[in-house]
Amino acid sequence: MSLVQDAAAVSAPFFVRGKLIAATEKRHRSRDLGVDFVTPKLDLDALVTLRTEPGPLFDVKLNEILDFLAATGERMRLDRGGYLREAVDRIAATNVLPRAVIEHNVRMAADYLNKAKLLEYAEHNLGDARVLDEWLPRVDSTGRRSFTRAFPPRLIHVLPGNSPLVSAQSIALGAMVKAVNLFKMGSSDPFMAVAILRTMLDVDPDHPVPRSMSAVYWRGGDEQVERAIFQPQYFDKIVAWGGGDAISNVIKYLMPGLQLVSFDPKTSISMIGMEAFDSEETLEDVATRAANDVGLLNQEACVCSRVLFVEGDRQQVDRFCERLQRKLVDRNALSGKAPPLPRDLAEEVDSMRLMDDEFGVWGIADGSGLVVRSDEPVDFHPINKTANVVQVKSLKDALKYVNVATQTVGVYPPARQVELRDGLASGGAQRIVRLGDAGGQSIGAPHDAMYVMHRFVHWIVHEDGLV
Amino acid sequence: MSGAVRPQACAVDRLVGAVDSENPFDTPFSELLPSQLEAINERFKDRIGKIKLLQNRAETGGISEVRCMADVVPLLFAHTAYKTYPEGWLVEQKWDRMGRWLDTVSTHRVERMDTQGINGLDAWLQRLESQGHYVSCSSGTTGKCAMMNATMADGEFAGHSLLRAIIWAGLAPNHDRRMISLGLVAATPRNRASGKPMREAFNRRDVAPFAPDVPPITIGGITEMIVLRKKIADGTAKPTEIAYFETQAAEREKAIASSIEQAADALIASRHMPLHIMGLFGPLYQVAERVRAKGYSGKDFHANSAFVSGGLKRVQVPSSYREFIFETLNLSWDRVCLTYGMQEINTNAPRCKAGRYHMAPWVMLLLLDESGEHLIEPAASGELEGRAAFFDLSLDGRWGGVISGDKIRATWAPCACGNRSLSVADEIQRYADTASGDKIACAGTIEAYVRGVS
Repeated sequence: MSLVQDAAAVSAPFFVRGKLIAATEKRHRSRDLGVDFVTPKLDLDALVTLRTEPGPLFDVKLNEILDFLAATGERMRLDRGGYLREAVDRIAATNVLPRAVIEHNVRMAADYLNKAKLLEYAEHNLGDARVLDEWLPRVDSTGRRSFTRAFPPRLIHVLPGNSPLVSAQSIALGAMVKAVNLFKMGSSDPFMAVAILRTMLDVDPDHPVPRSMSAVYWRGGDEQVERAIFQPQYFDKIVAWGGGDAISNVIKYLMPGLQLVSFDPKTSISMIGMEAFDSEETLEDVATRAANDVGLLNQEACVCSRVLFVEGDRQQVDRFCERLQRKLVDRNALSGKAPPLPRDLAEEVDSMRLMDDEFGVWGIADGSGLVVRSDEPVDFHPINKTANVVQVKSLKDALKYVNVATQTVGVYPPARQVELRDGLASGGAQRIVRLGDAGGQSIGAPHDAMYVMHRFVHWIVHEDGLV
Repeated sequence: MSGAVRPQACAVDRLVGAVDSENPFDTPFSELLPSQLEAINERFKDRIGKIKLLQNRAETGGISEVRCMADVVPLLFAHTAYKTYPEGWLVEQKWDRMGRWLDTVSTHRVERMDTQGINGLDAWLQRLESQGHYVSCSSGTTGKCAMMNATMADGEFAGHSLLRAIIWAGLAPNHDRRMISLGLVAATPRNRASGKPMREAFNRRDVAPFAPDVPPITIGGITEMIVLRKKIADGTAKPTEIAYFETQAAEREKAIASSIEQAADALIASRHMPLHIMGLFGPLYQVAERVRAKGYSGKDFHANSAFVSGGLKRVQVPSSYREFIFETLNLSWDRVCLTYGMQEINTNAPRCKAGRYHMAPWVMLLLLDESGEHLIEPAASGELEGRAAFFDLSLDGRWGGVISGDKIRATWAPCACGNRSLSVADEIQRYADTASGDKIACAGTIEAYVRGVS
């Protein structure tokens, strides 16, 4: 019996330099849900392009790349080949995200491939997107002339497993910087990147964009693979998400010529001023906004709020907690429940219930929405629709809890963003938004304190001496 | 507390009393089960009004009586239940709050005390001891420290039952050996209590037992490291504090090396008399290496005996480490007792001649699935694999039901050694070690930004 017919294991084809590789030779197990999937055997030599060979996109104009990406987005919406439908089915089996959330994410991925928006992204990231196509001239104040180009890099993208949208973004950015791209997919989603790349073949099977892309899976940390291909002779940068084991696996391969562009693991928070208690309607509205930020992607992503600092007295803060818990439960109609809390976390919350003069607990640990109120942030990392509300006298008092792992801070009322933003940035936070808008994103804005395209490209100068 | 008459607690007393019977490890599971369930139910009825977390557990699980093994599962505490206190309280030395937390997982009330003048965790623990609370801590150097309350009687029973188990395993203490202890374990009340009866039973009256002369590893010392970690994460630790702790860590390393050296020297110096060696496999291997390096091996020693508890604790050694240790120190399986146990429970399971760990009748082993949520029903024959959970009826100071982090294989069928009690296979893994490091997500915590203080 071939592995494909094995009902217990789903097939996860590879995509290597413009070709779909659909063999089912190697069995893996997804980390989160323990579902088996089968892939082709990895051909290491096919994953690298020697430096004597220019990448397929090196001489393709940005405009043509954008047209191709937009056409891919269009095809993704139609999905005539059923690639994305199939990917959704398979991701739903390997990923903790509810199906509705995955479907929404896949629609967002198709919409992301929008020509005008992508161009705006590049313009904002690079100042002048022509630098991708041309050697832009400049004469400095001493009269020296030089030409600069954002030269195409060779990139390994270690994709996160928690958001299919990131696959689309990484593919789009990798194409726009004209890179030679190798995507290492995660075990909780070894499907989405390949589904997008397959769609590209339907647009034009010989286009240089798909020829510049490979998407494969190996078990993160597999030294046989990583020691062989994580070499500066083959790649310039490793673009990696996450922390802990995922990043320590990568860090050991860094060396002169092989750099890391890291999207570090992040925690997001909210800061809610006493204005929330102006009226009952306001409080309802603030709780709804807060629940949006907490429950986004079922709290799987870095932008999801986990700790909410609320300015007020105990009674006010408890009123907020009660409403927030209700709003989190209301959201279940939209995106389904999150998985129940792991036993150790549930136990920690139970202990807090027992110490009711120190803590307040609303809801149960079944993934439907849980709120824990404390005087300082709890020790555990709130997950699966859990919000930790911390009572503070003044939002300024909460600044000491902001640290280098803090990403997004949702503030209410919006007017108070200005009073807080310098303190937040100094503490380490990287993104300040209106409460309820953690998922919003202005086109080309910095991510994790950097302009991503700017970090991806290889800045090359051609010095032309005194004019 | 321990001596108090418990008129209703007859099933508990009957089972726990078996510690002094001739062979407590020969009762088959099926015979034992009714009285174990009866005893657990007795414990449950008595403790539900005393241990707050248990009461909460019973309410959540809808359990009002224990009639079968599945009823016990919702009442088990995860091995993390004893570390649910907010770490900030430890860092800021809020002993009154820590006391209130400890009370929620204790049988006997942790009364409010005057916390004035308590300077550090060790001092608080000492004050608790003066009130009859003997708190042991798990000794992990990263993450939180589990704090488990026990009574004096718990400690005494741990020591006594361990000695009985060692004798059952085939060792015959007769005051005719010098006891060589390798040290290197945390100075917890549990560890102190369990060593004492063994020392008294084995050691010659004319020679002092040996223990390395190094500063003890105190719980407070371990916790200081954890506190520093938190301060680094919070961004409030100063570079000089980090540098100070790096120095401390280096000194601890030196103390460990010195313990190994001292133990090797003591073994060699005492080689003319029979020895009883006590330690963990990791350090024992290092000691054996030193003994070899100094030019001695099995032929230089009498027929020695040893007691070894616990696994390797992630120490990297060659696969033949046991043979190497045995050959170097002239040990053999009939003179070595291994046990399987953990800080969370009071009773160790001794290894039999067939190489399996046997459960005492007062300890119920519950095999659970990996999630720890569901019971794997015992099978009449064959071996089953799962997560180990225990109910130790001998525990007085806290709840006896706990889920471990261990992946084990157990059989309810009679063992090849001839004993009919439930037994666990020799290879015991930790689930934490088997998890893959493959998870990549953008969400994460400040923990990833803290370099381990070595």
